[in-house]
Amino acid sequence: MSGETLPSASSIAPPRRRAAVPVGVLMAMTWLVLILAIALLADVIRPYGITAMDLRARLQPPIGFGGAWAHPLGTDELGRDVFSRLIESIRVSLLIAFGATIIAAVFGTTMGFLAAHFRGWVEQVVLMLIDFQASMPFLILALSVLAFFGNSLPLFICLMGLYGWERHARISRGLAIAANAQGYAASVRQLGAGPMRIYLGHVLPNIASTLIVAATLSFPEVVLLESGLSFLGLGVQPPMTSLGNMVGYGREYITRAPWIMLCPSIVIVLTTLSVSILGDWLRDRLDPTLT
Amino acid sequence: MLRFFALRLGRALLTIALVVTFAFIVLRLSGDPALMIMSPDAPPEALAAFREAWGLDQPIWLQYLKYFTAILQGELGQSMRDGRPAIQLVAERIPATLTLTLPALALKVGLGVPAGIYAALHRNSMTDRVVMTFAVAGFTVPSFVLGLILVLIFAVQLGWLPSGGQEGWRNVILPVIAMGLGGAGVLARFTRSAMLEVLGQPYIRTASAKGVPWGAVVRGHALPNAAIPTVTIIGFMVGSLMAGAVIVESVFSWPGVGRLIVVAVANRDLAVVQCVLLLVSATMVTSNLIVDVMYGVLDPRLRSQAPAGGGGH
Amino acid sequence: MNLLSLDSVSRVYQTRRGMFGRPIPVRAVDHISLSVAPGRTLGIVGESGCGKSTTGRVALGIERPSEGAVRFEGAEMPGPGTPEWRRMRARLQLVPQDPLGAMDRRLTIATQVEEPLAIHAIGDKSDRRDRVQALLRDVGLRADLAERHPHELSGGQRQRAVLARALATDPALLVCDEPVSALDVSIQAQVINMLTDLQAARGIAMLFISHDLKVVRQVSHEVAVMYLGRIVEQGDPEAIFADPLHPYSRALVSAIPVPGPRRIERVVLTGDPPNPADRPSGCAFHPRCPVAVAACAVTSPPLSPTPDGRLVACHLVGGTA
Repeated sequence: MSGETLPSASSIAPPRRRAAVPVGVLMAMTWLVLILAIALLADVIRPYGITAMDLRARLQPPIGFGGAWAHPLGTDELGRDVFSRLIESIRVSLLIAFGATIIAAVFGTTMGFLAAHFRGWVEQVVLMLIDFQASMPFLILALSVLAFFGNSLPLFICLMGLYGWERHARISRGLAIAANAQGYAASVRQLGAGPMRIYLGHVLPNIASTLIVAATLSFPEVVLLESGLSFLGLGVQPPMTSLGNMVGYGREYITRAPWIMLCPSIVIVLTTLSVSILGDWLRDRLDPTLT
Repeated sequence: MLRFFALRLGRALLTIALVVTFAFIVLRLSGDPALMIMSPDAPPEALAAFREAWGLDQPIWLQYLKYFTAILQGELGQSMRDGRPAIQLVAERIPATLTLTLPALALKVGLGVPAGIYAALHRNSMTDRVVMTFAVAGFTVPSFVLGLILVLIFAVQLGWLPSGGQEGWRNVILPVIAMGLGGAGVLARFTRSAMLEVLGQPYIRTASAKGVPWGAVVRGHALPNAAIPTVTIIGFMVGSLMAGAVIVESVFSWPGVGRLIVVAVANRDLAVVQCVLLLVSATMVTSNLIVDVMYGVLDPRLRSQAPAGGGGH
Repeated sequence: MNLLSLDSVSRVYQTRRGMFGRPIPVRAVDHISLSVAPGRTLGIVGESGCGKSTTGRVALGIERPSEGAVRFEGAEMPGPGTPEWRRMRARLQLVPQDPLGAMDRRLTIATQVEEPLAIHAIGDKSDRRDRVQALLRDVGLRADLAERHPHELSGGQRQRAVLARALATDPALLVCDEPVSALDVSIQAQVINMLTDLQAARGIAMLFISHDLKVVRQVSHEVAVMYLGRIVEQGDPEAIFADPLHPYSRALVSAIPVPGPRRIERVVLTGDPPNPADRPSGCAFHPRCPVAVAACAVTSPPLSPTPDGRLVACHLVGGTA
């Protein structure tokens, strides 16, 4: 009966278009692609070595402020090329942020699945750790670990990897419990599947989009944390360089050569902003319930 | 009701115990403290004396027990640099930190909450977009970048305000702005979404459909209900009064707790680090506890329902 | 010999009022004994909350009984999640009420029907593909639907797909939990006919759970009527349908619309629907029973045999009162 009225109604309505990607999101994506390309191709596009000094060209300003093409973003007080150092810093900072986010996602999801599978005291312990992590300022915990263990790049990445795991743990536990109580996971279990098949073969692919959104939300926070610690001189150690490291270092020359500190600052802000915009957009599209 | 508070108190104490355990484990995992603190080529007798003084020659569970009781008695060890009690060093720095964090908290709440409410009530207006843009910027611009840019503009270029030090009220302005602006953005964003959620509820529509003036609906129904989640975030900010200043204090060379822990970490002054860790976690846990109790008073539903899990939603 | 037997099985849940309330034990299933012979169907009927689904879950071994024992093929049911339990899944399967929720919506029908074969390592890759095709044919699904996803199928097709998956490992017992209640009446009849045909062809035993006495009557060799966790009447479906002895069965039967003049007077149940957390004293049905006597509020009637071979739990039947 309504079958005849429906087509005419839909022909009046404007044709359904795929929602266009907002300009802001496009710009964010462009920036991220650029940054990723720089990080991957750092060795190729970097004009100078990061420790190569040019003592005759110290504290040269960038192009547009009286500088020359030889050093597009100027040089620091040892005559090292800021552009080259920036490229290397982007690579190191992104490496740490990606490594840490992946560690947090894997660790958190594992803990969440363990809690959902075993329930009982295992779940209580995981919940207690989640509460503990969520109620402590992470910066202070990280500082304590660095004080006790000293610093090395692998340790530093693992430490950053402890950041945000509780978000993944909470999500994966909740969704796995829901799937176990009713639905596909319960029925696969009922077919006789073992835990590996249930969690890796069924639950994980089904909740992956939510976990990816969660990772996108914690990625910029890891970038900020890493750059903050490196800024304090407690993160990435020289001769390696990272974005926060460059800011902390360039701060000494803020009056005479502000570009040393401004260049990495701009990269940090644009990157965190882009990932946040992308994350918010992904969340709205994939999983609006997430906070 | 009483059981609710008792349970919360138990959880708070458990968190503190976890922090202490964490510190102990990390301390023991990090290697032989005797070798770390004294130079590796110190005479063996000195090392043995140190181990005995710190109880390092005893079984691990006894060490843990002693460690726990010592902390309960407020014995947090001496600074390995100048030999003064760590707790005293830390206590001296607290007023300086509060001088920054309290005004910054006032700035966050005073700017963030009204901006968030206004943005929610005028959703999609120009002001809403401006507020939200600032809110996102507040979240994505790290406080050290903001601090340095403020220094660059107001100290280096304009010369209006000092770039660091602790001489008078003029020194406080830039650090407080650097710290408060980001938090204000976070709070504005959060308040806005809490308000929008409440405004979408059926009871709001019912009230306004019944003819209650919109202003009265907002004041009588929307604000009180949106206040509950907002209070949580503010509580979290109160909890970080001690910890939130680490980076900004370093930017402005402000001699507070944050600067102390950074220097202590760089020097591996373990007693001081551990003392700050405990101070920060105690503040955090206490404020979480207060928020929980306030929740119980404000929102009677929570007393009978399961708690919302962790605090960081 | 019985394929499945439940011997005085109870399932007790602890619930609490609010977060800090005192835990209250709720007997969802209370001392139930029943058995299913190979190739036969036992129907369980009752209103929602009477414990029939819990009985099904206990029978499947998904939940452990709080008291009593479940035996399948002569052996005690192993604990859920253990390797023996997992191996046993090939022998007894569930047909769920909500097929869409029971399937992984990312995977095609063929993949999901194949999954039990992969889990239990039955056959090689091409072998399995053939078996999947045969299974889909058996449940009446067109071959081209194999590559579709669950949400692209109709309700009846999904129910058939889930049935194909349940049949993949050639089980001895199917527990069907309201398998057709979400379907249109016309589709219901098709699915039920297919179930009975498959049962006849493969010799599968079934535990058929439904709130719909009419549907249960069509498929069952024996029927158990449940009320608040207990069996109140059990026996031949035709006998129960023609002459329900327990007042509750009488109410259920009288609620079925029949053409022409009624043979049984319509009994309309009054009073509160049953709440397992607040079980009445004596016979649990007495507050709603139109013929209750004083004894009903005091003592609980045992399930006793009647002359025609049925079991009934009522003081007013068979002279126990």
